[in-house]
Amino acid sequence: MIALDPAANRPQFINVRVKRQDGPGQEPYWQLFKIDYEPELNVISVLQRIAALSKTSDGKKVTPVVWDCGCLEEVCGACTMQINGRVRQSCSALVDQLLKDNADEIVLEPMSKFPVLRDLMVDRRRLFKALEKVKAWVPVDSYYNMGPGERQLRATQEQNYPLSQCMSCGCCVDACPQYNKIELERKKDETEEEFKKREEKAWDKAFVGPHAISQAMLFNNHPTGKSIAGERLDALTAPGGIQACGNAQNCVAVCPKEIPLTTSIARAGRATTIHTIKKWFEK
Amino acid sequence: MSDSNSDSNSEPSFFTKHEFAIRRLHSLTGIVPLGLYMCVHLTTNASLLGSVEIFQRAVFLIHSPGPLLPLIEWGGIFLPLLFHAGLGIWIAKTGRSNSSQYQFTSNKRYTWQRWTGFIALVYLFLHVMHLHGGIHAEGWMNAIYKVGFGQFSPYNAGSSLVDAMNLGYGIIWPAIYLVGVLACVYHFINGLWTAGITWGLWISPQAQARATKVCVALGVVLTVISLAAWAGAVFPSKDDVAKMRAIEDRMYEAGVVSGTVLENEHKRDLRGRAAAEESVDASDGEQASTGTTEPAS
Repeated sequence: MIALDPAANRPQFINVRVKRQDGPGQEPYWQLFKIDYEPELNVISVLQRIAALSKTSDGKKVTPVVWDCGCLEEVCGACTMQINGRVRQSCSALVDQLLKDNADEIVLEPMSKFPVLRDLMVDRRRLFKALEKVKAWVPVDSYYNMGPGERQLRATQEQNYPLSQCMSCGCCVDACPQYNKIELERKKDETEEEFKKREEKAWDKAFVGPHAISQAMLFNNHPTGKSIAGERLDALTAPGGIQACGNAQNCVAVCPKEIPLTTSIARAGRATTIHTIKKWFEK
Repeated sequence: MSDSNSDSNSEPSFFTKHEFAIRRLHSLTGIVPLGLYMCVHLTTNASLLGSVEIFQRAVFLIHSPGPLLPLIEWGGIFLPLLFHAGLGIWIAKTGRSNSSQYQFTSNKRYTWQRWTGFIALVYLFLHVMHLHGGIHAEGWMNAIYKVGFGQFSPYNAGSSLVDAMNLGYGIIWPAIYLVGVLACVYHFINGLWTAGITWGLWISPQAQARATKVCVALGVVLTVISLAAWAGAVFPSKDDVAKMRAIEDRMYEAGVVSGTVLENEHKRDLRGRAAAEESVDASDGEQASTGTTEPAS
């Protein structure tokens, strides 16, 4: 690391190029910021410095760059953005590491597959809607005590634990070539509700994404969750289901939690194959 | 009831409703019959390097169904191919390649799979037109023969193939075939690997790594076979063609007598032979006029 190495030439400044956008549907534009170098910064603290500065490198006074963040320890996914062309969390993106790869500048862009609300803040509702589509939960709504759950085999636990680490950040879908941006505009004669309905319909038809496929596999492998396994597989074979996967495997390559998404997709492939054949003969 | 109205407006199409099954069929047709057929086809063609007889015997066997052959060709090859290609173009259009942004090997493979698919489609159209002709109606075949298509004569398999490759200065077609065949091999092998994910055949990363090894080995073997097939069609000279034709004719006549080959003059290379004989006659004629006293007939 540059910071810990006293012999290394420390830069005086850090150039940060930010892709900004004033509001939904507006034209994005680039701005260059220049902040003083400090050791051991992460991208969040860089954005804090920029907000405090509110001045571009050529001295123009501008509104602070907007971004989203939550936990600051890579478990909430809120601060996900494209850093130097690669989607990741800005809290765990360490500036000294970034400068090692590219000393000239750090490039910050919003995620590419979600509608931009402002600057680096995006609307990720579609991501969560996909989890609803595949019923990524354990159905325990009941008035009655159902007793203790089935014991889980150690092998099952070991298979499930990595999948349970998914924080729904959206890196996988952002890097996926089969997951395309859906950005609708509210029509003049449309109520808020009608617009939301239209939006959800558009999301429902489009690819659910690797995260949802993986979560479906997690809950299909859960002793109680598997009671609605068939419904999840129905959702995965519906329009926008697993068939839209193109096997580019970017999801597994960019996942910050190193979740074996290709394994989940292959498992879902096998499960949907068997499910569909069974259904076809039982009709 | 504006809701039900808007629902009925956007009633999903047959394709949307059955997209899962249709895309599974797309995956299946890529392997059986198309991929399997390609393996058999390339191996058969590579046998030309062995001898003219082995290749011609294989072609006689392929043509043994006689009048049923077009049915097999269309049902087992052309229609699955058209389906696979048509849906493949649609699938390619649903994605946005980003392999310049995310330069992972598997992402590049994704992009290449689409490009080799397009190359294979154009190449296979040219290939079928160049040799097979598509529809075996006599008028059509005669018409396209004049512009260099429909050149293959199954009962003179080797010789008509080599002749056909020599059209266009003997460089254009060999180049097209080399690129096209290699694109097809890549598309098949990579498609085989991804089909393992699609169908859930190899699931764990270890299983996928083993599958990669198997597919690479298969790809190497198939590449060698396809290069052998290519070499067998490209390297023989004009003199070889005459020798090949003599062997094929001998096999045809003997086959017809023994009943192992269905008699069919249309499948013989009569047009190519006529052209060849003309040129031979012409050169013979020259020799005759300069050398012997034999009267020119």
